Amino acid sequence: MSRLQAEHLYKVFGRRPNEAVARLQDGAGRDELRADGTTAAVIDASFAVEAGQIFVVMGLSGSGKSTLLRMLNGLLEPTAGRVLFDGQDLTALSPRELRQVRSHKISMVFQHFALFPHRSVLENAAYGLEVQGVAREERDRRATEALGLVGLAGWENSWPDELSGGMQQRVGLARALATDADLLLMDESFSALDPLIRRDMQDQLLELQKRLKKTIVFITHDLNEAMRLGDSIAVMRDGRIVQIGTAEDILVTPANDYVASFTQDVDRSRVLTAGAIMADPEEALGTTTPDGTVLRTERDVLEAAPATVTADTPIVELFTPCSRSGVAVAVTDEDESLIGVVPRARLLAVLGEPDPGADGAAPQEGRKTAGAAVAKTSGATDAPDAPEAPEGKVIAGA
Amino acid sequence: MPRLELGSWIQSGVDFLRDHFEWLFDFIAKVVQGMYDGVHDVLAAPDPLLLAGILAVLAWWLRGLVPAVLAFAGFALIDSIQQWDEAMETLSLVLVAGAITIVLAVPLGIWASRNRAVSAVLRPVLDFMQTMPAFVYLIPGIFFFGVGVVPGVIATIVFSMPPGVRMTELGIRQVDAELVEAADAFGTTPRRTLLRVQLPLALPTIMAGVNQAIMLALSMVVIAGMVGGGGLGSSVFEAISSVDVALGFEGGIAVVILAMYLDRMTGALNQRVSPLGRRALAKQAARATGGLKVLHWRPATSVAMVGVVVLALVAGGLNIFGGDDSGQKVTADVGKGRTVNLGYINWDEGVASTYLWKEILEQRGFKPKLQTYDVGALFTGMAAGDVDMQTDAWLPATHASYWKQYKNQLEDLGTWYDKTSLEVAVPSYVKGVKTLDDLKGKGGTFKGKIIGIEPGAGEMKLMKDKVLPDYDLNGEYNLVKGSTAGMLSQLERSYAKKEPVAVTLWSPHWAYSKYKLTKLEDPKGAFGKGDGIHAIARKGFSAKEPQIAQWMKDFKLSEKQLTSLEAAIQDAGKGKQQDGVRAWLKQNPGLVDKLAPAGDAGAKKGKQAGAAPRIGYFPWDEDVATTYLWKNVLEKRGYKPSIKQYDVGSMFTGMSAGQIDVEFDGWLPNAQKQYWDRYKKNLVDIGPWYDKTSLEIAVPSYVKDVKSLADLKGKAGMFKGKIIGIEPGTGEMQLLNSKVLKAYGLDKEYQVTNNASPAMLAQLQRSYAKKEPVAVVLWTPHWAYNKYELTKLADPKKAFGANNEIRSLGHKSFPDKFPEFHGWLKNWHMTEQELASLEQSVQEAGKGNVEEGVQKWIDAHPGIVDKMAPVKS
Repeated sequence: MSRLQAEHLYKVFGRRPNEAVARLQDGAGRDELRADGTTAAVIDASFAVEAGQIFVVMGLSGSGKSTLLRMLNGLLEPTAGRVLFDGQDLTALSPRELRQVRSHKISMVFQHFALFPHRSVLENAAYGLEVQGVAREERDRRATEALGLVGLAGWENSWPDELSGGMQQRVGLARALATDADLLLMDESFSALDPLIRRDMQDQLLELQKRLKKTIVFITHDLNEAMRLGDSIAVMRDGRIVQIGTAEDILVTPANDYVASFTQDVDRSRVLTAGAIMADPEEALGTTTPDGTVLRTERDVLEAAPATVTADTPIVELFTPCSRSGVAVAVTDEDESLIGVVPRARLLAVLGEPDPGADGAAPQEGRKTAGAAVAKTSGATDAPDAPEAPEGKVIAGA
Repeated sequence: MPRLELGSWIQSGVDFLRDHFEWLFDFIAKVVQGMYDGVHDVLAAPDPLLLAGILAVLAWWLRGLVPAVLAFAGFALIDSIQQWDEAMETLSLVLVAGAITIVLAVPLGIWASRNRAVSAVLRPVLDFMQTMPAFVYLIPGIFFFGVGVVPGVIATIVFSMPPGVRMTELGIRQVDAELVEAADAFGTTPRRTLLRVQLPLALPTIMAGVNQAIMLALSMVVIAGMVGGGGLGSSVFEAISSVDVALGFEGGIAVVILAMYLDRMTGALNQRVSPLGRRALAKQAARATGGLKVLHWRPATSVAMVGVVVLALVAGGLNIFGGDDSGQKVTADVGKGRTVNLGYINWDEGVASTYLWKEILEQRGFKPKLQTYDVGALFTGMAAGDVDMQTDAWLPATHASYWKQYKNQLEDLGTWYDKTSLEVAVPSYVKGVKTLDDLKGKGGTFKGKIIGIEPGAGEMKLMKDKVLPDYDLNGEYNLVKGSTAGMLSQLERSYAKKEPVAVTLWSPHWAYSKYKLTKLEDPKGAFGKGDGIHAIARKGFSAKEPQIAQWMKDFKLSEKQLTSLEAAIQDAGKGKQQDGVRAWLKQNPGLVDKLAPAGDAGAKKGKQAGAAPRIGYFPWDEDVATTYLWKNVLEKRGYKPSIKQYDVGSMFTGMSAGQIDVEFDGWLPNAQKQYWDRYKKNLVDIGPWYDKTSLEIAVPSYVKDVKSLADLKGKAGMFKGKIIGIEPGTGEMQLLNSKVLKAYGLDKEYQVTNNASPAMLAQLQRSYAKKEPVAVVLWTPHWAYNKYELTKLADPKKAFGANNEIRSLGHKSFPDKFPEFHGWLKNWHMTEQELASLEQSVQEAGKGNVEEGVQKWIDAHPGIVDKMAPVKS
């Protein structure tokens, strides 16, 4: 059973929210409601998060992702739907029980760190424990430990405003980790950081996750970040979840043009793996090498291939071999038996455009719409990130 | 438009509240009064400079060394301009009002910040409270709580609450929403979020609100002086109502010092209280280096508290042991700590009389300072005003030359000893020498020497110029110049060896009681007639200290008393003169009271001695004079009257509520009729003491052709269409506007301006100086008629009505509570001459010296006290 489950969550702000939910269920659109002065922030969101997974919710601002997150720990009460955490329905709890759950089982990391300026770093990290009622010595010990985990050992007696943004967010992370909560809610936690620092923090989070195996729900508007971190990604638009899947699913088989347009900017060469784009081994059979040898068997293919990679190798590593040879790169499994090949043409095709053939859409039209959507997106989203985009890519490759 | 009787509805609402919730208001009044008394007792207890020290340590703790020094200097200044008591009263008021305000405002602000509905309701209420003119609160304040401290505190609370509430609400709303959400996300309870996150972070803003509230409280407290709130407000109010620039400035500067102190301290308190502030402080301290470090160093909280506690203990200790330390107690506080500079010549009778008076003056609450001078310096010093008084002037002969030179700068307070003589003395074992004549031919016996004293002394001069030539002793005797002490030790040495010796001596002198000496007779009268020993003072001293001057005038010692006093001092030894005086006084019980009768001491006490009637008065001359007169008389009779100034409205309200027992300035039947009619069921008419009053309009007599009110008609141009009036609430003004002007057809032509009486008098003085025409609203009796030449305009139509009588009015309980005082008042009458001279005396004594003026007048009217307040013995 999943650790965390959201079932048909709705959140409507404004008058007569329940009525609005009924209309939404009957198929009314978000814009119709807005005309009446009610805002549907989240519409019929359902998903499940497995233990130890990082579940990323990605969407542009106003897509309802932060509202969705706040319903998961009861900071906002859903208008309809349920949140099940370890099988317990959080929406049915009294305020007191809910506070109990929040203080022991769910922690949160905020976009702007939300550190208490009147408390030292140690006191900040120990805050959750203080709320739990843990004795001073014990909570100081555990808070110091948590600070050590995020690499802030020795900064205990500093004050939040003496730290850089990245360090402050580490304190925020330490505060969340110190309580030993299993569920970590991270609300655009790295968005306010410089790209370099952001990358560091992402690495650190992945590093920690390897050791701690928390269940994490991570909100972001940055697809690259989502792809890097997410075991599973939900893409939100206008309050609705439009697609849930792995990074490759979303990249390779976007649910619609909107999602496709998003993936436009993503550096596929680092997200896609050889396994995802490889062709059947048969495709290489019958081709000839530059020196005229005809490849007839799998063994021939393996021998002639400029490189042999595994299925989870990012395709960025295939470029150099492909440039050296016209022969396809071989993909093998653990037993070193050939499971697929990546010919040069296929590699280039994948990089060019989202693969329209996957769902059989008409290439011509699909391309047009996608292009328009990309233009719109790059203009409207990520305004702060836009100038840094090239740099971001360089770093992403580093 | 129909007239909406909004005002009278409010009035009846207020009446209803007063009648039905009296218990509630009484309870509030009691609590507030109790708090005020408690705080005031603490603040008033220590010595001013000690408390200034405590306040300075607090300033050091909160702001550093420089502010501490400035704070100390500021409070020392308040003390030195004699506004200390007032300042402490004001401080107590502010602290009480401020504390209550904060206790109410902060929770209200918190509530408003958490509840939009409360905030919406509160906002207009706060606007109303803040914008309503502050004076207006005093009216219901008086109605519900009477006059005094309580309405002042209540009005202050109402006035200073809004910023406290607003800033608290603002501060909490300003706390970053993400922080509150973070607290929430970790499961913090709302209450804990408020206490641990919102309040600490809102604290700087809340403290700014507190600071504002206290500043507003201070400004309001000054206004509260108008309803008897006391303190600096009373000083300022008194200054305004008597156009007294000096007092106004002193009161004002004291308010400014208090305000700055409170402002800076509450501002800095924020830094100490809030965690963020403490961090900022630590940073600042870390940045400072070298000398700056000293300036920025502040004692830690614990150190500062220890300092305050130590100083407070010292203060308490001094209060407890103060009396024993100096070994002397104040038996009657006439001096109230005023300093008197006594100079003396180091002669025995000078030392004796001066130390005697030092002791007496100390017992009477003065702070005498003694300084010894030689004769010349003493006279010059007195002429220059550096020395107030000395008791050892030998006149008319010995000190004649000095007296002649300086007498214009000196006052003679009279002779206290007249059996003086100058002489040459020899031990009585020297036989055959009885007169100065006998010295002739005995130069060998005395080795040709007569032992003299200081060469500047009058006696030496006389000896040289007159005595020696007259008795033809020149040549045979050499007059040895030396000092009194040298002469006495020579006498002692010779006396012990039974050697013949001749010394210049004088009576009185203790040597005559110690040794057996023969005063040589002076058959030719060469030494002249005996001097009297006078007490003399610098010019103006008796005006400043009439009581001391009177004591000195009545001061007499017999020869036996003086010589025994000198001997007692001699026995006590050098440096212990005062102990000698005390020992001597012990042998002469009752002498201090006889020499310095102070108020009750020496005078007969009344049957109700110790009773404390509360007397109210108006800032009008006849009332100030008579009120202080009765205060003086009552104190002599052992009463403990308290007096306080009010305006007409609050006087009658306060008296009908029983907060004022009696007042002496009820102008009836006309001038104060409206108040009397309204409140008479709670008041009692004790009877008239003056009946020659009249109300009138007066013009300077240089304005020709204006002799009666009718003459004013058509002369509006000359008077610029104005009649200078007095306080708008007074009966005379109402009569004038409603009746007099119409009766003479002046209402179109003239406008009567509303002023305070002193402003009217100031205008009169200004116009009089410039010889400009001016018409003022005046009344008889008034000293203005003595000071200026004025024409009372005749009132042929009797529009001002029959003459008023001035009556004593009291609360209805007055006759039962103070039967003796009541009896005195019933039989009390003053003649026009008495009242005029009393007012004059008060006027001459100058602002702030009313009591001296009254005492002077009493001294000039012997028996007046017994006449006013007869006591059967």
